[in-house]
Formats: sequence, C-alpha cells, structure tokens
Amino acid sequence: MKKAILYKEWIKTRLYFPISLAISLAFIVFLILRLQRVAHFKGVEHIWNIMLSHDVIFIELLNFVPVVLGSLLAIVQFIPEMQQKRLKLTLHLPFNQQKMILIMLSVGFGEILLIYLVNYSVLYTYLQSILAPELTGRILITSLPWYICGITVYLLTAWICLEPTWKRRFVNLFLSCGIIRIFFMNDVPQSYDSFLFALSIFTLSCLFLPLLSVDRFKMGKQDLS
Amino acid sequence: MIRFSKILFAFIIVVQLFWLLPWFYHFTTDTPTHIPFTLYSIVNNDFACLDYNSEKGIKYTDRRGNIYTNRQFDSILPLFYFRQLASDGRLPDSLNGVEITPQKIRTSNFMFRLSASEVNVKKTPLHPLLESMSGRVDLKMPDDVCRFTDSGIEFIDMATNTIKQKKSKLFTSLMKKKGFEFPLNCIGGNPTNRKDFDDGYFLTDAKHQLFHLKQVCGRPFCRFIALPDSMKIKHIIVREFAARKFHALLVDTSNRLWVLDMPDYTLHLLPINEYNPQKHDLEIIGDMFNWTISLSKADKVEVFALNAADYSFIDSLQYLSPPSIPHQLGHYIFPFEIKFTSYDDQYTYPRLTDFSAKACCLWALLIMIVLFLIYKQTH
Repeated sequence: MKKAILYKEWIKTRLYFPISLAISLAFIVFLILRLQRVAHFKGVEHIWNIMLSHDVIFIELLNFVPVVLGSLLAIVQFIPEMQQKRLKLTLHLPFNQQKMILIMLSVGFGEILLIYLVNYSVLYTYLQSILAPELTGRILITSLPWYICGITVYLLTAWICLEPTWKRRFVNLFLSCGIIRIFFMNDVPQSYDSFLFALSIFTLSCLFLPLLSVDRFKMGKQDLS
Repeated sequence: MIRFSKILFAFIIVVQLFWLLPWFYHFTTDTPTHIPFTLYSIVNNDFACLDYNSEKGIKYTDRRGNIYTNRQFDSILPLFYFRQLASDGRLPDSLNGVEITPQKIRTSNFMFRLSASEVNVKKTPLHPLLESMSGRVDLKMPDDVCRFTDSGIEFIDMATNTIKQKKSKLFTSLMKKKGFEFPLNCIGGNPTNRKDFDDGYFLTDAKHQLFHLKQVCGRPFCRFIALPDSMKIKHIIVREFAARKFHALLVDTSNRLWVLDMPDYTLHLLPINEYNPQKHDLEIIGDMFNWTISLSKADKVEVFALNAADYSFIDSLQYLSPPSIPHQLGHYIFPFEIKFTSYDDQYTYPRLTDFSAKACCLWALLIMIVLFLIYKQTH
C-alpha cells in the first residue's frame, strides 16, 4: 500500500518536480553568472570587500524562490485531490489515514528538500572556489531561513488546500501569512542564526497541521452548497 | 497526533495574537519623542539646545531658558557653525585666547556615533589590514584579508583565495614576540579607505592584553599597550579623525569609557556615566575645546561636556523620556508582548518583553468575572 501511495504522489508531481528543479537551478546559475560578471569587471576582491563592508550577500534575488516553489508543489499535489474529490476515496483505503497523509506529505517534503539540496550544493561548489569559508558560510547561512520557509510554506499550503471549509481556509491563510512574515523580518546577513534551530523544529512540527484539516474533513465539515 | 496538531494550532494563534495585536496597537498609537540636539557652548559656558516642536517649530535655547535667534545660536556655537559664521564674516579671530581659522576648526572637529544595533550584529571574522604608510595621500584597500586562528594570524589572498604563508608567518612571529597570546579576544578597527589615515587594529589577546597592530611599508607593526590592573576590555572603537587626537575608545567590562591618546598611548578614563555599547547609543561631537558626549539609554539621554585637552568634567544634563500615555495604557492591556526584532540589535528571534503584572491582574479579574457569570447562569 505504501508503495502505491508513493507512486500515486510521484505521478502527481513527476512533471512539476523536474520543472521546479530546472527553474531553481536557472536562478542559481543566473546568480553565479552575475557574480562572475562582477568578478570579471571589478575583480574578485571587489566581491570580498563589498561583503565585508556592507550587508550584501549577492544572492538576495533568491529570496522568494523557495517560497514560490514550495507553495506551487503543495498546490500541484493537493488541489487535484480536493477538486476531484479524491481525498474521500483515499481516506477509505484500508490503511491508517494519518499515516497515509504523512506519507503523502513526506513525498512532497522529500522532493522540495532534494531541490533545495541541489541548489545549495551548486551554490556551495561555486562560492567556495572564489570566497573564504567565512564568506561562503555567511551567504549560505543567510539564505537558510528562505529555504526553511520554503518547506514551511509547502506544509502550510497543504494545510490550507486540505481544509474542507472556506471560512477556516481563510483563517489558515491569515495565520500562514503571519508565519511566513517571521522568516522575512530582517534582511541583515546572519540575523537569524540563533533562531534557525527553533525555526527548523517549528517547520517539522508543521508536518502535523494538515492532519488537522483531514480530521475536520473526516468529521464531515463542509461548506453548504 | 491530532492532539498535537490542535496544540500547535492554538500555539500559532497565541503567538500571533501577542505578537500582532501589541504591534498594531503601538503602530497606531506611537508618538514621536523629541530630544533636543544639545552641544556645550564655549561662549556661554552652558549647554545650548536646539529643540524641534511640530507645533512651534525650531526653538534655540539654553539651559537657563534664554531664547536665541538663528543667528545668535550660530554665534554661541562658533566651532559647530563655523562655516555659516565664516560665510557671514562673523567668525571670531580667537576664542579663549586661542587663534582660530576655518581650516583649524575643520581639522579639529569630529563627530562620531555608535548605536547598539551597530554593535549587536553578526560580523564576518575577516579583517582587511590596510597599508598605513603607503606614501600616497589616498588610502587603498589591500589585496588580502586576515583572520585570527587559535595559533596565529592568517592572510588570505582575495584573488586566488589562498593563504599567504610568508606574510602570515611574519605577522604571527612578530605578534608572539611582542607577547600576544592567541587566540584573539576582542578587535576594533575601521577598515575603509574613506578616512584621512590608517591606524590599523587594536586587539586584545587571550590574556586580555591590549595590542596595536598595523601594516607599515608591508611589514608588521605590533605594540603592547599597558592597561591598569584588572582592566578587561570588551569593546574597542577605532575612528581615524584628521585631528589625530586619539587612537581608540575602549569600553571595559565595568562599562567605563576610556580614551587611548595619540601618539603616546596614554589612557584616560572619561568622567561619564556607565556606557554599555550593547545597550546604549553613543554620540560624541568634539572640537578643539570641548567634547559633548550623549548617551542614549532606554528612558533618558545623558549629556556630558568634557574638556578636550585633559578630558576633565565640565558639566552634564539629562533628558528624561518617560513612556507616552498610550504606551503606559498598553501595560494594562497586554500581559506581555512577543517581538522578533529590536531597535537595539540586528538579530531575529522571539523575545518575550513588557511583562505587565497590571495586565495579568486585569485579565485574571476579567476571567474570574466571566467564570462567575457562567456559574451564576448555570446554577
């Protein structure tokens, strides 16, 4: 049964996954080319000096990319489920319902994590070749909240999509906006350092929020049509 | 799992309530607080204040309540408004028996600000060490940066991202020879080429000893600076001003502010109140006669006038900034507030602030009344 669920989720996301991977990599390649251009015109020293004297990390353009990718993945994965009323059928399968939802979520979680890891690896490989470990670390650690936010947004979007009533959907959306705001409150490099662990724990705990929507769905909460 | 989800949902609501409601309350009720711009006047021998009021406009005054016109105010602060006075032909030839010229005033004047948010920020532990004696008027940024390890100093060539072994060894051996005990404890410098000259870095070692490190003609310069017994430096401020009056400002662990004079490295304790760079904002406006030092604290601004020659105390005043009425009212509404950022630092993390026993009591009372009403209805 587990394999069947995994396969079902893969079918839903198999088109989106390579596209989002390609788009995210295109952003990374663009940022690398931009850095190369600066290095070519003004020398690598200019990048070092600017990073040391200003609050600049040269990859600010990446800011909302993980958020967009995370929310789109959840939409691709769960909107058809709700629109075509497949969730009802899924919940009637002879398998633990909560486990099933968690497996569905973990597929998306894994895919989005893989995309981010590939992004990070490409970025790290380039940056460590031109910058000192301190500067490479500064760039990657500064961008970490954006990626954690991407995963959180995936789980929050799933939570909203799986919610059976519009009224509660808006409440969830409002709360989600507040949560996302927390990840973008400060654009000073490494300002989230002491908060990263707590944010990661919170993100992991968000895995359980969609269960709340599914529980409400099971209880028969529905909009009157 | 569902129970955990419900708890998490409630947690998110509570956090957002105590974060967004107080934020919105302060956002809509906050009023600006005006602390008058204050300088010590060498002419009046008193503080001169420029007070801005949205209703009455700008008011030029002093502590005794005398009101001045714009032109009179220029005259009582001749070293601050010297350009205006020179342009009007009103600049005196001498003050207190000392001959003054615009050029002399420009060289000796300096203004310096350091806020807590500039101190409380994560910095990259890489330091560009400029050439202090290049023979050129304009300073040039170096092609390498240095880092301090547990056993020495390393210079990294920026173009190739490799360590300059020879230079690193040269600097490490000289620093060790001068008594520097690695690792580094505290460092202060001003690594920019937009200044009149370069004075390198001031650093303390593992034993809290103070050293001056510079690069002179490509060679290391390291000098041990004796400190008073048991003095431990926690923050070093270096700004190279044209007057070349002092090397650095030092803050010790007792929150005392010291000046390290140039060129003889003598230390002077400034007779001002406690200054904690992590919490307070510092502003120094100096001229050839006086320094006006302002310390902005949570509930007040303390202003001190010191003699620029020997740093002796001349006068002081303080402005209290009591919380506004809406702010005080907020203490009756919110038992506590959740904030993620602060004006005093550049970090982001959740902080529970403004605990209010009054609001707790009020909320407890309200809950008790509601419970009592429910009890009365059901029985």
